[in-house]
Amino acid sequence: MAEAERDIEVAPSRVDGDLEEMVLRALKDRFPGSVSDMKALKPRILRARIERAQLFDACKMLRDSQNFEHITMISAVEYDNRFELVYHISSYKSRLMLELITTTPKDDPRVDSVTSIWGGANWQEREAYDLMGILFSNHPKLERILLPKDTMYHPLRKDFRG
Amino acid sequence: MLGQIAMFSSKDFLKWSDEVLEGILRKSPIGAGIDAVTKDFFNWATRNSVFFLHFGVMCCALEMAVASAPRFDAQRFGIIPRSTPRQVDVLLVNGPCSKKMKPALRRLYDQMPEPKWVIAMGECAISGGPFWGSYSVVPGLNQIMPVDIYIPGCPARPEALIDGFIKLQKIIKEGKKGLLTGR
Amino acid sequence: MAEMWISMGPQHPMTHGLWNLRIKVDGETITDSEPELGYLHRGIEKLCENRTYTQIIPIADRLCYGSSITWSHLYCLAVEDLMGIQVPERAEYIRVLAIEMQRIASHLMWLAAYSVDLGMYAGLVYGMRDREVFIDLLMNMSGSRLTYNFPRIGGVAHDLPQNFERDALRACDYMEKRLKEYEDIYDHSSVFMMRNQDIGVLKMEDAINLGVTGPALRGSGVKYDLRKDMPYSIYPELDFEPRWHRDCDCYARYRVRMDEMWESCKIIREGLKKIPKGKHRILAPRTAPEGTGIGRVEDPRGEGMIYVVGDGSDRPYRLKIRSPIFISVSAAPKILLGYKVADVVAIMGSLDMCIGETDR
Repeated sequence: MAEAERDIEVAPSRVDGDLEEMVLRALKDRFPGSVSDMKALKPRILRARIERAQLFDACKMLRDSQNFEHITMISAVEYDNRFELVYHISSYKSRLMLELITTTPKDDPRVDSVTSIWGGANWQEREAYDLMGILFSNHPKLERILLPKDTMYHPLRKDFRG
Repeated sequence: MLGQIAMFSSKDFLKWSDEVLEGILRKSPIGAGIDAVTKDFFNWATRNSVFFLHFGVMCCALEMAVASAPRFDAQRFGIIPRSTPRQVDVLLVNGPCSKKMKPALRRLYDQMPEPKWVIAMGECAISGGPFWGSYSVVPGLNQIMPVDIYIPGCPARPEALIDGFIKLQKIIKEGKKGLLTGR
Repeated sequence: MAEMWISMGPQHPMTHGLWNLRIKVDGETITDSEPELGYLHRGIEKLCENRTYTQIIPIADRLCYGSSITWSHLYCLAVEDLMGIQVPERAEYIRVLAIEMQRIASHLMWLAAYSVDLGMYAGLVYGMRDREVFIDLLMNMSGSRLTYNFPRIGGVAHDLPQNFERDALRACDYMEKRLKEYEDIYDHSSVFMMRNQDIGVLKMEDAINLGVTGPALRGSGVKYDLRKDMPYSIYPELDFEPRWHRDCDCYARYRVRMDEMWESCKIIREGLKKIPKGKHRILAPRTAPEGTGIGRVEDPRGEGMIYVVGDGSDRPYRLKIRSPIFISVSAAPKILLGYKVADVVAIMGSLDMCIGETDR
């Protein structure tokens, strides 16, 4: 907790500094064991890592109590031993953006879908499934969107040589 | 004779008239005679009113739209866009053909009536362009259909497009075919 | 009456670009719809993993060809964030001038295509004629008419040409006269108003939740413009107002875009007055450190964003692109519900679709 606070106070002190601290503190209080690596990357851009089991509850809390009404981007990145899903969530009211990162093991790329929280996540998750092969549970219609429907491969994986 | 015609159903009548017209016009010297007289006129009309399909794929489509705009004005050559493939002479492809689009593009080409030509505009239609090597781009339009004119450029300037159409007019002038006999 | 699915596209005069809109109609009224994309998918994200950082700039141009300088600028912003380099001030001013001219050209292209869709062919020739003025300015700056390849990582490719200030001020005067003329033509035309007012209503909560951004969001009453609220580049020092509108229909979106053209003329004049002397480019390192970089811009069509992951070599490890139209189109089933088939053209046209960035 002290580590995260020291990182935030490096930013110049303005009135808005309280908002960023409030968001990170709310996350830490609600999910004490699952959140890690919280810091402010730049003024108004925050980052946090969270376990994939708590992802849905964290997103619901962010939308309902912290005014994060808009999901900007969902990216899927493949590393050697894991998949990472990076959620960029923004708040119009407080002018902030939060980068929320969750990790899945290589052989089980499955996360909860956040479509019921933000409708804008619908097609972004379909694209992550189409190009990278991440499976989203509880998605209303998880089908291919950019490639033809009978394609057998996921092109953005590192072992695909096209 | 009249009685016979009156007893035809409409389908039979069509078949009969087709056979008669085939015999008189296409296969006999009368048809060749009419062709020899009117060939030049119809050829002049065809090459001065080349209609292309209103089909925009990618960046070169904006230059195609600008070619019809006041500054470059392709319409003074008779080059007018039409909305359906059944009414056009030229299929102007101005972007890369992706694997999902391949059957649709081939179907568009098959829907066009004879005589028809294909113009590949821009690097993407010629060879895949800056996206050569991608898993989802067909490297060149001539893998799908026969191409008559290639217009290079990325994007091709509107003047280059008009120049391509003028070269097509030259091709049409040299390959004169009679409308009736097809020779 | 029986319901049936009609397929409008992929080749259709309405669709600017290749996409398929399947609508389910009950007589003339629309009950459901489903856009189908992917006909222009070129695999850009995979291509970029095999090109060096400078080789990707022309590819980023071709993402959205309606406003290509915004996308190469966005890519340069993201990579500069990853590498941690600071661009000289003169280069920032030149970039902003180019972006605002591109914004006017993009909105004029939208206006030309939109009025053709609604049946007014004169709008096409007026819009194209005025767009040529700004395309000429950009051609003098960068050398090309449509995909400019002008920003570089660390600045811009070359400095401003001779007499640029005189030509740009002349273009702004010309444009402001023309904007008054457009208001006379469009706002006083009863057919245009009938086809646009109360058509395609998108309420504020739906717009925010479904992720719609850009003029469509500002036309639904949300006063949010990335250039003012999360500013980047040199925008904090420029004085302009984000324009928004309260009615959530097609007319509001049209009005927002026309007002944005006024604001862009103001920004160009102010930028030309304030531009300092200095270098127009610094040399960037060839390899990028390990880490991530983010860039966000206000594209004429919405909010664009790039997330780049570097791995210490001279090629990116992963490049993820957020396209504003990809997400605005997913709101189509909600907007189209209950209107007639003839309104589809007006509604989808007012969203200003550019399929290059949607399909990547």
